[in-house]
Amino acid sequence: MDSITTTNLAIAYDESIVIEALEMKIPHGKITTIIGPNGCGKSSVLKAVGRILRFKAGAVYLNEEDITTLATKEIAKKMAILPQSPTAPHGVTVGELVAYGRFPYQRGFGRLALNDRKIIAWSLEVTKLSELEHRSVDTLSGGQRQRVWIAMALAQQTDLILLDEPTTYLDLSHQLEVLELLSDLNKKQGYTIVMVLHDLNLAARFADYMVAIKGGSIICHGTPDEVMVPHALKEVFQIDAQIVKEPRTGRPVCVTYDLVR
Amino acid sequence: MGSTGRQKKKKNSKIIAVLLVLGVLLVLSIIFSMKSGYTHLTFHDLLRILLGGGSDKENLVLFTFRMPRIIIAMLVGAGLALSGCIIQGIARNALADPGLLGINAGAGLMVVLFVLLFPTKTALSIFTLPFLALIGAGLAAVLIYLLAYKNLEGLSPLRLILTGVGMQVGISAAMIVLVILLDESQFNFVTVWQAGRIWGASWKFVIALLPWLLVLVPYVFFKARVLDVLGAGEEIALGLGVAVEQERRILLAAAVALAASCVAVSGNISFVGLIAPHLARRLVGPGHQILLPCCALTGALLVSISDIIARTLVQPSEIPTGIVVAVVGAPYFLYLLAKSRR
Repeated sequence: MDSITTTNLAIAYDESIVIEALEMKIPHGKITTIIGPNGCGKSSVLKAVGRILRFKAGAVYLNEEDITTLATKEIAKKMAILPQSPTAPHGVTVGELVAYGRFPYQRGFGRLALNDRKIIAWSLEVTKLSELEHRSVDTLSGGQRQRVWIAMALAQQTDLILLDEPTTYLDLSHQLEVLELLSDLNKKQGYTIVMVLHDLNLAARFADYMVAIKGGSIICHGTPDEVMVPHALKEVFQIDAQIVKEPRTGRPVCVTYDLVR
Repeated sequence: MGSTGRQKKKKNSKIIAVLLVLGVLLVLSIIFSMKSGYTHLTFHDLLRILLGGGSDKENLVLFTFRMPRIIIAMLVGAGLALSGCIIQGIARNALADPGLLGINAGAGLMVVLFVLLFPTKTALSIFTLPFLALIGAGLAAVLIYLLAYKNLEGLSPLRLILTGVGMQVGISAAMIVLVILLDESQFNFVTVWQAGRIWGASWKFVIALLPWLLVLVPYVFFKARVLDVLGAGEEIALGLGVAVEQERRILLAAAVALAASCVAVSGNISFVGLIAPHLARRLVGPGHQILLPCCALTGALLVSISDIIARTLVQPSEIPTGIVVAVVGAPYFLYLLAKSRR
């Protein structure tokens, strides 16, 4: 089964078309990474799927339901989306920000019920933030902050999380920490994860399924072994890449590359 | 677990302490305000009059002149503070304030027209006043929204402030032009309104203002969670299932209605909507469920104290309350502006 299907999806900013007639399937229970050069429209696809960007034509199906027929709060119970480097309100604590994830479930004046508190505590625990619950988000490091946003998404109790470049501005070890957290969520809790990633090797290392986009359409898709091949990377990124299988992870890695002349 | 539990308790007791202290200060300011004025009343006098033992003159001073004015000052302070807090929340801009944005001025223009059309203050005309003010403030707000809104970037904070300040200056200029048409007493009224003198200090005005606040304030408290989530940015809010555009418009309309109904009776008091949310945020943090009540208390206290100063500093004359607020508010605004540029 697929978590997300798009048919004939078109996205445009004013008159300039970014994505045209996109047909994409995101498999359920897997980690999917979307890769592509700058300005290829990969973030736009993620936002359109996450209904934070209005698309021009076509349709997006979430678990085989047309998202335009679903109430936005109902979607928020099935799919969480984290934009690229979101900013927290000044002075908000970790616990308060994670509690925002309960918004779709709250009614009226919105006091947190016992069940809400349990789920928030669980989200903090899974992301190893329990100790920091009362700290102000402003005082955290970039890696911790990204974990707070992920915890907020967990508190939404969806089975699908979309992330736009979750590793931006993070150093090497924190990039890995965030991606391993997402990988754990996928393996242990069964989350379907879709993320746009800039770094090809990290994308190939953590993905079950990859989608490569260029110029607004999908150039190729499949397992990392199918996508991380020289001719595909040549077409998508205009690079002449040397790919080897990395022994520690068993995943394809681009060791070096030149520009295609 | 133990340490986080303790931290939480500490935070809760701090919030309760803050609200208590603000409440006590407000009560003290009410008592002080009842005592002071042209006729000074001792604490003993005050008790006696409140218990029904005052002379006709004393009753007149306390129940007809001072009390409605004290109540108006508090209500207006709370209303303007909440209005500022909402606008700051939806614009994600700490420098927003209904006065600075020209929303008060829009209301003022209508108040001036009102004075031109109804030179005598009949009861009916007093109740139409908030509606007229709302129309003026609403038009100003819509105009600012349209001018500051850009299709792809949305509502840019800086453009909002610049548009608002421009709007405020423009409307003030229009008022000055109107002033040429007025006779001397009307002219006096307009200058008094612009300086922010609480002119509608009678029970009729309290009754004209109260229903507005009784409807709007609970509604705004009801929207506390939405304001919280909007503070995390448009994309996060959309992702959490907030109908962002719709909520923003409704909340802006509530903020405009709060500001308009308040300044209709109080004159153009600026800066309360700027300072009160700031102080409140420093005291209790950014969560609107507690921030909003704290903000209302802070605003009420601020205008209440300013009004005491306004009434007593240069007796037997008085300074417009808005000027007293501005003496504190303008430097605070500049301080925030300087801080935000860093």
